Amino acid sequence: MKRLMKALGDDGLDEFGEMQLESLAEQSGDEESDEEGGESESESEAEEDIGSVNGKEVDDDMEGGSEDHEEEEDDEGEGEDVLLDDVESVDDDTVPRQKLEIDNKVALERIRETIKLDSALPWTETLAVTYRSTIDVDVEDDLSRELAFYKQALDGANTARTLAAQHKLPFTRPPDYFAEMVKSDAHMERVRQRLLDESATIKRGEEKKKEREGKKFGKQMQIEKLKERERSKKDMDEKLKSLKRKRKDGALDNPQDDGDAFDVAVEDAISDRPAKRGRGGAKTKMSRTARDGKFGFGGKDRRSKQNTRESTETFDFGGGRGSRGGRGGGRGGRGGGKRLGKSRRMNTRGK
Amino acid sequence: MASVLKTRSANAAKADAKGKGKRRLDVDEDNDELMAGTDAPPKRKKNKQRVLLLSSRGITHRMRHLMNDLEALLPHVKKDSKLDSKSHLHLLPELADLHNCNNTLYFEARRHEDLYLWAAKTPNGPSIKMHVQNVHTMDELKMTGNCLKGSRGIVSFDESFDATEWGRLTKEVFTHIFGVPPGARRAKPFIDHILTFSILDSRIWFRNFQIMEKDPLQPNGPPQTSLVEIGPRFVLTPIRIFEGAFSGATVFSNPEFISPAAVRSALKREKGDKYQVRKYTDAERSGRRERRRREEEDLAVGNVFA
Repeated sequence: MKRLMKALGDDGLDEFGEMQLESLAEQSGDEESDEEGGESESESEAEEDIGSVNGKEVDDDMEGGSEDHEEEEDDEGEGEDVLLDDVESVDDDTVPRQKLEIDNKVALERIRETIKLDSALPWTETLAVTYRSTIDVDVEDDLSRELAFYKQALDGANTARTLAAQHKLPFTRPPDYFAEMVKSDAHMERVRQRLLDESATIKRGEEKKKEREGKKFGKQMQIEKLKERERSKKDMDEKLKSLKRKRKDGALDNPQDDGDAFDVAVEDAISDRPAKRGRGGAKTKMSRTARDGKFGFGGKDRRSKQNTRESTETFDFGGGRGSRGGRGGGRGGRGGGKRLGKSRRMNTRGK
Repeated sequence: MASVLKTRSANAAKADAKGKGKRRLDVDEDNDELMAGTDAPPKRKKNKQRVLLLSSRGITHRMRHLMNDLEALLPHVKKDSKLDSKSHLHLLPELADLHNCNNTLYFEARRHEDLYLWAAKTPNGPSIKMHVQNVHTMDELKMTGNCLKGSRGIVSFDESFDATEWGRLTKEVFTHIFGVPPGARRAKPFIDHILTFSILDSRIWFRNFQIMEKDPLQPNGPPQTSLVEIGPRFVLTPIRIFEGAFSGATVFSNPEFISPAAVRSALKREKGDKYQVRKYTDAERSGRRERRRREEEDLAVGNVFA
């Protein structure tokens, strides 16, 4: 109400109008306090009242004729509001937009009576049956819907057979009755071919799947076998080599020894190979952390390739390795072979 | 062999009856009497139905195939050439009369994509206009059944047809049109398929099944009925029922029916609306940016340290 007054006040009502409005406001305020919740109703009532009030004012002012124009404008504004309200209400009505439904049951029944077949006609004249239940399934669910239709048809077929038996109507086609069919033989052949193709495709797919699975497994097996063979070959080679070396050493010691001993040694080596390997495998590795602690770990030094003071001062380009020290490769052990045992080294030094 | 003989004699008897009927058809002007069979000899009443099947111009191959399927299934159907004009439906009753038909199935194609089916009792009505959707013809390889050409099919309705008045009327009309009368010219004496009409989702669903009484895998086993779909299949949405044949007052209209053109245009409009909203928001955003731009101040950094 106050908002309304403000809105109207902008347009400049005369005192009389304001007075009336105020009194109205009091009234409507009372109403509002009386019936809480009926706000909108009272407001609309108030609006209507205002309209009427303005109309009165116009009548009054016709005599004075001073603020005629403004008042008329106000009136028009109110009129527009009312019109809008009307339009809104119309919209509300049309929201559930429905077409006009015609269902003239009387006429339908009359028409049905006129065209109805004689009820005295035997069933064999029409062959119509009614399924004694409604189809009540989800429309979107194809499978259950088709199943419902199938059930209806099956029920219809069964009732029809009993009815046909009652009316002595031939129902089943005897196997020696041949006549033109709805679908030609060529078409039925295509249908059959398609069914066969379908089943063949399924079978083939399954076979392929099995094969693929077998292949995967077989391949693994083969790889494993190859690896195993290679490993065993390598082991054998090593064994033989070491034996040969030993034998050479031994031959130097006692040249009388003949091939028998070597063979025995080979056999020994071959036979006890797995045991040896097992022992070798049984040697426990140190843990990762322990190895890191012992051998050092920590990736490449980031500045390992940068020049340092030493590297710039040395003019030693041959090394290629150990650019930091420059003299890292200076051990000179290249091509020297294995380091001899301690006693031998001592011996040579002693000599 | 005995059965063949029997059927032949039965056919002969039928042909006799038919010959008489034909003559009477030629003589009689009033189809109503024919249809009700009141004219037949008093000892035996007969159901006489003949259906004129035709389409409008502009049907697609699929619709044409559906029509051919119906013709193959219903021996009492007389197929006619396409009707030239869609606005001169009043010609149809005359045409039906010329062909001695008391029923008409008229397929009306619109815009080469929508198919409507009129099922009418011709001289005096009523006529039912329906929208045909989800058409699958008999040519599809998924429909593996087969039946004798011209065998009389059973017509099965579900119970919802009896629930409404328009359903009862539709059932009656469909019984006339899709039920093959025993005297039909090319009718075969055995029953090996069933046409089902079911109301679901306030539409009429049509299916056609072959009745197999023996399991094909074990031909000597006990008789066990199973069904194989023959086709065609389609869904009919009733639109209106008129009192006359292709004319007259509307006695029923389906309020739920929305024409396919309206559906398509609504879809298009939705798409267009999306675009419009996007464009509007784009324009609004750019406008807002313009409005938010502040005037250059005297004390702006650029002005002070110019």
